[in-house]
Amino acid sequence: MKRRIDIPLVATLSVLGFFVFIPMLSAFEFSIRTPLKGGYGWDQYIWAVTEEDFMHYILRSGWLAAVTVVITLLILVPTLTWLHLSQSKIRPLIDGLSLLPLVIPVVAFAVGAQISFPEFMQNTVLELPFLYFVLALPYAYRSLDIGLSSIPLKTLTEAARSTGANWLKTITAVIIPVIRGAVMATVALTFALSLGEYTLTVLLHWDTFPTWVTYVAQENLLGAIAISMMSLIIPFLVLTGLTLLAPERSAQRRK
Amino acid sequence: MGFKFKGEGASTRGRAFLTFSPRSFLPAIPFLLIFGYFFLFPISRLIYVAFLSNENTLTFSNFVTAFQEPYRTGFINSIRIGLFSAGITAIPGAIAAYFIETRGPSKLRRTIAVMSGVLANTGGVPLAFMFTAAIGLQGQLTKALKAAGWDIYSGHFSLGTFTGLLIVYLYFQLPLMVIVFSPAIVSLRTEWIEAARNLGANQFNYWIRIGVPLLFPSFIASFLLLFASGFSAYATANALTVGNLPLTPLQIGGLLDGNVSAQQLNLGKALGVVMILISAMAVVPYLVIQRRAAKWQQR
Amino acid sequence: MSSKSLTLKNVTKKFGSVLALDNFNLEVGVGELVALLGPSGCGKTTALRVVAGLENQDSGNLYVGDKDLSETPAHKRNMGMVFQAYSLFPNLTVEENVAFGLQMRKVSKHERKKKAESLLELVGLPTQGQRFTYQLSGGQQQRVALARALAFEPEILLLDEPLSALDAQVRVNLREEIRRLQLSLGTTTLFVTHDQEEAMAISDRVGVMSHGQLEQIDTPDTLYNKPATSFVASFVGTMNRIPTQLSDGQVQLFGKNFPALKSSNESGSVIALIRPESIGITAGSQDHNAKVLTRLFMGASSNIVCQAIDGTIIQSLMSSNESGDLHPGSEVKLEVLNKEVLVTNA
Repeated sequence: MKRRIDIPLVATLSVLGFFVFIPMLSAFEFSIRTPLKGGYGWDQYIWAVTEEDFMHYILRSGWLAAVTVVITLLILVPTLTWLHLSQSKIRPLIDGLSLLPLVIPVVAFAVGAQISFPEFMQNTVLELPFLYFVLALPYAYRSLDIGLSSIPLKTLTEAARSTGANWLKTITAVIIPVIRGAVMATVALTFALSLGEYTLTVLLHWDTFPTWVTYVAQENLLGAIAISMMSLIIPFLVLTGLTLLAPERSAQRRK
Repeated sequence: MGFKFKGEGASTRGRAFLTFSPRSFLPAIPFLLIFGYFFLFPISRLIYVAFLSNENTLTFSNFVTAFQEPYRTGFINSIRIGLFSAGITAIPGAIAAYFIETRGPSKLRRTIAVMSGVLANTGGVPLAFMFTAAIGLQGQLTKALKAAGWDIYSGHFSLGTFTGLLIVYLYFQLPLMVIVFSPAIVSLRTEWIEAARNLGANQFNYWIRIGVPLLFPSFIASFLLLFASGFSAYATANALTVGNLPLTPLQIGGLLDGNVSAQQLNLGKALGVVMILISAMAVVPYLVIQRRAAKWQQR
Repeated sequence: MSSKSLTLKNVTKKFGSVLALDNFNLEVGVGELVALLGPSGCGKTTALRVVAGLENQDSGNLYVGDKDLSETPAHKRNMGMVFQAYSLFPNLTVEENVAFGLQMRKVSKHERKKKAESLLELVGLPTQGQRFTYQLSGGQQQRVALARALAFEPEILLLDEPLSALDAQVRVNLREEIRRLQLSLGTTTLFVTHDQEEAMAISDRVGVMSHGQLEQIDTPDTLYNKPATSFVASFVGTMNRIPTQLSDGQVQLFGKNFPALKSSNESGSVIALIRPESIGITAGSQDHNAKVLTRLFMGASSNIVCQAIDGTIIQSLMSSNESGDLHPGSEVKLEVLNKEVLVTNA
């Protein structure tokens, strides 16, 4: 079958491509420079990954993001399941609340957070996952909401309950597997947002991977560029891989 | 047994008076507690403290100062950069979303969705590096343009100026536009264009009477969200400017850090409240329009 | 009436390597309602879309009256089309939707409003003009779509499974209304459906399609009683398939000989095709040749499922009054009530 070249599409992609890749490739070119030897090499990348702090901060950001994901799922999946099943009067209220964080600029939220929590909380980095949860809430909530709307939730729960599953089992063995697409999207989104969060973290004086990069930049600019490149390209590759491997969303409407 | 759901037949019609039996909201308590404590509480406290003087008495003086220099310029610049960055990217982003969604094969659409997601969230130091490497003083594009006869640094340009920052903001605003506008494109049904043709409409008639009216609300909504995003962006501005460009988020950050001292301890909170109000003026209409559009978009 | 006849001549349309229409020919007379019926993928929808100009045929011609419209773009064809569902413009009111075709034809505002109102009345929605389409039920939406397709007095009306997304009861009501309107306006109509009952109920003629070609086009009665091919026979209605031998143009069924109606050059082992209502059952007979398996009561008639001595499962449709004493296990005598029998290759 011959494919005709779609000129508007190709033109769009070319323009976008230039816009996106020129800055990215320019920075990449910087990151592989070796000023002492002249020419190019992977020196900065090798320096970065062998630097002790690199692993330290990656792991720290990683587990903070993982905790955020766990908090998000633990709170949202049961709550949303209940909201969908019970036709509760407070559903519009909770729907509305979940969107509120979109309205608040992160800087303003950071100021509020700084003056609100007792000392013992401000002294533990565990305050971050809860705040990240709030930042990711509008997206996570919507994604799970759409997932739950698209399945016959009532029938599924009734079937599970009637065959003897308790609520915990119903949620973990029936509902989550059925909406795994939405759950995966929520996990990816929450994880990525937590991993890359900068504004709130830095204003509350915490050190995570993104704030560490800023710190490195003051000492080793090329190294910091190399780290920035990795922090941009690795999530992109991982996420692209995941979406392309995941099954197509079914039922294209077009005939 | 755990918690019990209301019976199947129980309708929600009886709204005459709200009966809050414990069962009707008990399962929402974990969510409400966490959300209340980590979001509503800090925001309420922010608003309350914004009205406190240094001696903890109620006052408007923080807000009075918030609208004087240099904070006044900060707001003006922040609003301008929000409006300009949204205004420049909205139409190209909408057109790009249209071509990608209507003509792109599925794998391309999904790759672009992921890519837009990553790019719309770039900011701060990494983004600053990329643009420094491209159009900084020693940047690749700067050199290329200079070789072609255009020295972008011949005037007052620098990445730390308003114009420089605006260009950098486009980098995350354009993908953001693609993300927020795509659902509207997807929900344009092929049946509508076919029905219009069948009824005697040419392409132009279709766009004027059907396509544009249907997309317009979502376009405005997307613009508003982009405005809010540009208006409140902190990380990138912080990485590229060195206190030379007054922007509200940076001013708040400075007051929070204690890098900048003010006579009034709670001035930063008042600035935060004003930011919330401005942001709400854009985001709330965005949410309302999206909700309305969902009526015809969902099926 | 401004209605015209519709003719397709040798129309071929390929999608990649799939042949959707294979030298397809069709004639719809002035004021006639013709249904195209067939399994999904048989090309019926493609045929309709080629007529509407929403697909371009690879070769072949299309005539309305004696005008050749083969190359005319869709928006200049003057044909009204009703889509499966969701084709109403959500940004326009019901009345604006109905008037859309007139507006495109530069009819004055006053005239448009009058015409739209009268059409909404015609489809039974006289008070709904100012509402938005998403406020209507599925059945009402399709009525509006019908009004919209008829408002500009098209030469041809095209119906693309307009009832398939509706509930059973609404579907029956609306199909009768479509027929009533079509008869009173005398609009030449091409109707695509996969529901044979629907096609039979309201059409002047039904064309059965398979693999991009018309297998047979005839009145519903002829199609049912004298199917031209075994495909049509088994696609339209239910058929018993009874294996037997063909010799000297005769087949033997339950000990009797019948002249065979061949659809091609069958010989030797063949399958006889017999409608359930053409199988007679006698109970309490000495020379029984089958056993009742189940009796499905369906109101006025009952469906009796039997197993012949050789193991073949045979269905018979008879009046419930006459079949009251047939129970599972009853031994019965089956016979074929036809004069001739349609056969096909085994």
